[in-house]
Amino acid sequence: MKKLTAVAMSFIMAASLVACGGGGSSSGSSATEAEKTTAAAETAEAAGETEAAETPDEGGASAEDVTGKVVIYTSMYEDIIAMVDEKLEEVFPNADIEFFYGGTGTLQSKVAAEIDAAGDSGKLGCDMLMVAEPAYSLELKEMGLLHAYDYAEKDKLLFDYDEEGYWYPVRVCNMVLAYNPEMYSKEELPTNFKDFATDENLKGYVSMGNPLTSGTSYAAIVALQDAYGDEYFAQLGSQETAVESGSVALTKLETGECKEIMILEESVLKKREEEGSLLEVIYPDDGTIAIPSTIMTIDEAKSANENIAACEAITDWFLSPEGQEYIVAGWMHSVRSDFDQAPYDALPTAEILKNTMPVDWERCFREREEIRTLFQENVTVPEG
Amino acid sequence: MQKKHYFDIKWAVILVIVAFLLVFQVFPLLYLVYRSFFSTGKFSLEGFSRIYTYEMNWSCLKNTIITAGFAMIFGVILAFPLAWLVGRTNLYGKKFFRFLFVTTYMVPPYVGAMAWLRLLNPKVGTLNVFIKNLLHLSENPFNIYSIWGLVWVLTTFYYPYAFITISRAMEKMDPSLEEASRISGASPLKTLFTVTLPLMMPSIVAAALLVFVAAASCYGIPSIIGAPGQLYTVTTRIMDYVSVGSQQGLTDATVLAVFLMAIALLVLYISNFVVGKKDYITVSGKSTRPNIVDLGKWRIPITILVSIFALIVVIIPFATVFMTSFTTNMGKSLFAPGNFTLKFWNTALTRKSILGSTKNSVISAVWAATLGMIVCLVMAYLLKRTNVKGKAVPDFLITVGSGTPSVVIALALIMTMSGRFGVNIYNTIFIMIVAYMIKYMLMGMRTVVSAFSQVSPSLEEAAQISGAGWLRRLKDVLFPLIIPSIVAGWFLIFMPCFYELTMSNLLYSTDTKTLGVELFTYQTYHSQQTASALAGGILIMVIGLNVILDKVTKGKFSI
Repeated sequence: MKKLTAVAMSFIMAASLVACGGGGSSSGSSATEAEKTTAAAETAEAAGETEAAETPDEGGASAEDVTGKVVIYTSMYEDIIAMVDEKLEEVFPNADIEFFYGGTGTLQSKVAAEIDAAGDSGKLGCDMLMVAEPAYSLELKEMGLLHAYDYAEKDKLLFDYDEEGYWYPVRVCNMVLAYNPEMYSKEELPTNFKDFATDENLKGYVSMGNPLTSGTSYAAIVALQDAYGDEYFAQLGSQETAVESGSVALTKLETGECKEIMILEESVLKKREEEGSLLEVIYPDDGTIAIPSTIMTIDEAKSANENIAACEAITDWFLSPEGQEYIVAGWMHSVRSDFDQAPYDALPTAEILKNTMPVDWERCFREREEIRTLFQENVTVPEG
Repeated sequence: MQKKHYFDIKWAVILVIVAFLLVFQVFPLLYLVYRSFFSTGKFSLEGFSRIYTYEMNWSCLKNTIITAGFAMIFGVILAFPLAWLVGRTNLYGKKFFRFLFVTTYMVPPYVGAMAWLRLLNPKVGTLNVFIKNLLHLSENPFNIYSIWGLVWVLTTFYYPYAFITISRAMEKMDPSLEEASRISGASPLKTLFTVTLPLMMPSIVAAALLVFVAAASCYGIPSIIGAPGQLYTVTTRIMDYVSVGSQQGLTDATVLAVFLMAIALLVLYISNFVVGKKDYITVSGKSTRPNIVDLGKWRIPITILVSIFALIVVIIPFATVFMTSFTTNMGKSLFAPGNFTLKFWNTALTRKSILGSTKNSVISAVWAATLGMIVCLVMAYLLKRTNVKGKAVPDFLITVGSGTPSVVIALALIMTMSGRFGVNIYNTIFIMIVAYMIKYMLMGMRTVVSAFSQVSPSLEEAAQISGAGWLRRLKDVLFPLIIPSIVAGWFLIFMPCFYELTMSNLLYSTDTKTLGVELFTYQTYHSQQTASALAGGILIMVIGLNVILDKVTKGKFSI
């Protein structure tokens, strides 16, 4: 019996050791990953460096002076975070910058639970947020959770920013349509959001993100409601639109289960570049919905590490041409007017901006409950 | 003097554990109920009237009760004959079948949802198209995005709970009762229905409720299968409220969660009532070799039937997951030129964050299972070996914990364990361990309690007379006798914790991301193929673990 116990125990130990070993031995493989990412970022770097050389840091403090810990909650793709993380280690060698990845909904509920738990005196788990759209920033600003910062080059930003400096746009995601040319030809498919919801041929073959859990999907439906009225939701409902996550929708496009989907441009571009996928973006002729995502610093008293100086330096870096290189490498568009490069296979940013559908951020924030409810009742769970 | 001393240790240990349950389970859950009434600081039913007058929420409640109800009925209808065939007849390959059915318990249910999505989606589902062509149908026969699709996937993934519970009871049943029936001239079938089945009733009821609660509190399957078909359940609805990200959303979620808790409590009450009243003493502790029923001429047909079942329910979905993990373009056959790839496996096995999450999962599951088994052992001892008033209370608490939906546990812990009441374990791995223990200790508890009832107290009494203290008696008498049950119980806790999703998704933080979260994130945001590779990896690991355990311990310790 003792032997048996010993065997069982050693087995358990071995199992946990194997797992721990797995973590440790990853250094070898992560090195190759690092090489790959460095290679990918090299072009970015080259461009960034020349830009940086032209516009020396005006703040005076050098990057070496940035120290201490900073935790950033972000919804950017993990591959991009890995690249950025490495670069930041180089740029700010004395700072300890940590990223925490999560979907927008997950991060927002995490922050909400943290606020609830923190009460009036407590702290959040992070110092900066790079998640969600301006509506969320408006909400956090109103709750007094944000720190105001005057970004020196804000006149170069293409998109709205907070006048008082509580938030700035840092990357742009575009809500577009997508289809699979291997299954259906573009001619037989709608090329705008209006027909997407009404074309009889698409009934039961369309899909979109969930506005209840995804900030970009929510922004999109607010824009569409402004453009086409409440009726648009009813149409999406009778079109039997499936409401689901992007990766599921893309798979459905591949298998032919969906003919056309409403999705973020970046997820299609990512698939094209990484997997050689043939899925194509359709920039809707009634306007692409351009959705900036913001960068915010948590108010010092509420922040995890009270490291405002570092947060400001990081904000500067992300908004700089060098930082923007990484945004674009992550298949999103830059927010700077002096930045020409578009993501892999994407339409140039300037072209897209010629025809966009506006999003009323104030309304996104103020009427959230009503809009969500209306959408749910029409699309998510229709009558019967 | 001596006597007094060892009594102290016993009660100290018991008290510590009861205190643990009170602080980490009872208090958070009570606080959640409190908060749902006092969200604004004053007593108010405003939250309740808002949530429960909203028609859509009622359709979610209805969906939850229907899907969990049918999953329970079908689960037991499947599990009972399977447990009987595998445990008590001369079915061919029964060891292999047992292994297959138990393996399902060890696989994350949302992995099954992914597979069935591919197989039975109404437009191009692989199996759908195959059956359509085979039978020359005009359209695809099945639609996974329906209430029946949901019931199907829930059933195929939760019947193992019933299978394990019923199998175990069947193994410890006294065969002399059946022998008596046979000697008196009853046919094997008649014996089954008039002796075996009634004797098994308490276990069947317990198994049924286990399936019901597991299915009702499941999040992964309804979120993957239900949402595209516009079917929402209470759990997906709670998550919707939670991910509003506002304070009101959190309140709304707790209000809805209270309903799930109420259902779970009601179900537990009924089960205690039914099971408690009919606790047959069927375990003699001497004869543990049940007789084997000869299936006769039915042996081959029934084996074929069970094989087909295993093929459809276990092998096809798992194979689908593996095939997906090697496919670049999911629109084409795996064997189309250039469509086979190992890169998703490469990502799954080398990405730093995935490896880190695996490590976290192993650590937290090992801790949860180990601490959980300690709690179970002591509480089982309290229940079976002492005469204290209220000795059944911890057992009840463990059952309540398991019956409480995962989402509810997670929310309750976030609200109470992040510093407001002096304990701050939020953002640490401890909050996960605590959550896992509350949710999954029950399977361990049941295993240990049944092991205790098989060991006669006379052995311990003998040791006591010989002068052994409490700890010594545990170590030298009781533990060696029940070690196989302890190990089995340990694994029954370890497995679901290892791939847990619902609670981890709310509780994880920078350094405590787990495998379940990772898998779900890949499935929904990044790449289904990577998710499949990850799921395949977990599957291989789990099977390997079970096989090794089985070999090393010569069949004693597999589950």
